[in-house]
Amino acid sequence: MNMMISYKLRIEKFLILVVALLLPCAAIASGESGVVDFLRNTGKIYSVVTLVLIVFIGMIIFLIRLDKKLTKLENQINNE
Amino acid sequence: MMRQWWWKISGVLILLYTIILGLLTPLKPGIVKIHNTQVTSGEVAEIEIVGYNTHFDEASQNKAYLRLENEKYLPSTNAISHSFNEITYIFDIPHFPESGEKIVVASLIINNEIDGSAVLPASVFIQQAPVPGAIHEGAFIDNLSGLVDPGWSFRFPYRSILHETIRNTFFHITLWFSMFIMLGTGVFYAIRYLKYRRVNDDLKSRALTSVSVLFGLLGLITGSIWARFTWGTWWTPDVKLNMTAVAMLIYLAYFVLRSSIKDQDQEARLASVYNVFAFVALIPLVFVIPRLTDSLHPGSGGNPALGGEDLDNTLRLVFYPAILGFTLLGIWMTSLYYRILNVKEKLLEKT
Repeated sequence: MNMMISYKLRIEKFLILVVALLLPCAAIASGESGVVDFLRNTGKIYSVVTLVLIVFIGMIIFLIRLDKKLTKLENQINNE
Repeated sequence: MMRQWWWKISGVLILLYTIILGLLTPLKPGIVKIHNTQVTSGEVAEIEIVGYNTHFDEASQNKAYLRLENEKYLPSTNAISHSFNEITYIFDIPHFPESGEKIVVASLIINNEIDGSAVLPASVFIQQAPVPGAIHEGAFIDNLSGLVDPGWSFRFPYRSILHETIRNTFFHITLWFSMFIMLGTGVFYAIRYLKYRRVNDDLKSRALTSVSVLFGLLGLITGSIWARFTWGTWWTPDVKLNMTAVAMLIYLAYFVLRSSIKDQDQEARLASVYNVFAFVALIPLVFVIPRLTDSLHPGSGGNPALGGEDLDNTLRLVFYPAILGFTLLGIWMTSLYYRILNVKEKLLEKT
């Protein structure tokens, strides 16, 4: 039972990661014309900025997940 | 080694260098738009262009040249700048009946002392007038050496569709490079685990693979955004894109496999074997198949990727350090994950 729950949680977390990474794309896609025009401004420099931000956000999300794993371990150690 | 700071700090410094130089280095000037591309010989032609990253109004020596197919250059007689990026060049176009064709295609080269030069290939069509007048051989010059001011040299190349997104080279392609480095190391540890059966090797392999997959997913998303602004869609049926997506799915299955096996020894063994096979599948998917067919990516149709025009020396100066920087950052993240896994392992052993 416990195993099952942790497995489910893992899948959920993974889905959250994927959704969070896709969110900027979706945001751009939904406001297509306006946002795309803005990102195309001055030689498309803002699309480069978006790209760098996504790499940054992705890495931060990974670090947050690691942090949570570590917290769980600490709790486990403290309980013993 | 894992606890030392020098490589982590140097990784961050290298990435800082990449971001600063990669985002702040200006592009070379370019020609965005050209009006009246059809001119007739024997007449005075006004060619108006819109430039990118140019200083037409500040420069005092605006010059343009029409480069003909026979390696002759026709200099402009005058230039009137309207603003920093708009200028009209005036050409006195002579008759040149020695080329028997009705329409001669010429490339436009513009130059001034601030920006250096920019070229728009095959952009001006010179219509030969039906009755040729006097031949003006003297109007042409044979080469531009000494006439073209190179301008400031440390700038990234201007490409017509890419524009500023040429900087994505440092944030998209480098992710893939460091992903390959880390996946390769992960496979090395997987094989070492299979040989010596030490749990640490399996944990290292696992940590390396998960950070690599993160880099791969980020690579797919950043690639998708880059594609939107250059190729026009989020996802093209390009072979390389689809094959990379397949490779990423194969690697995602690696984690599903890991989380679905209860027994630890069995999990480690199966995952290590799977890792080796996944890497073996990855190489033809990403490196071989896209080269056999047409792909929008560089390196399709048998060409070497990242050769010649795609990566010039200024880009290289940022690109190669960026690979190192991303790899070091990835290994830092890997080492954190590995240490967590290691502590977890120790706890399990104790209980």
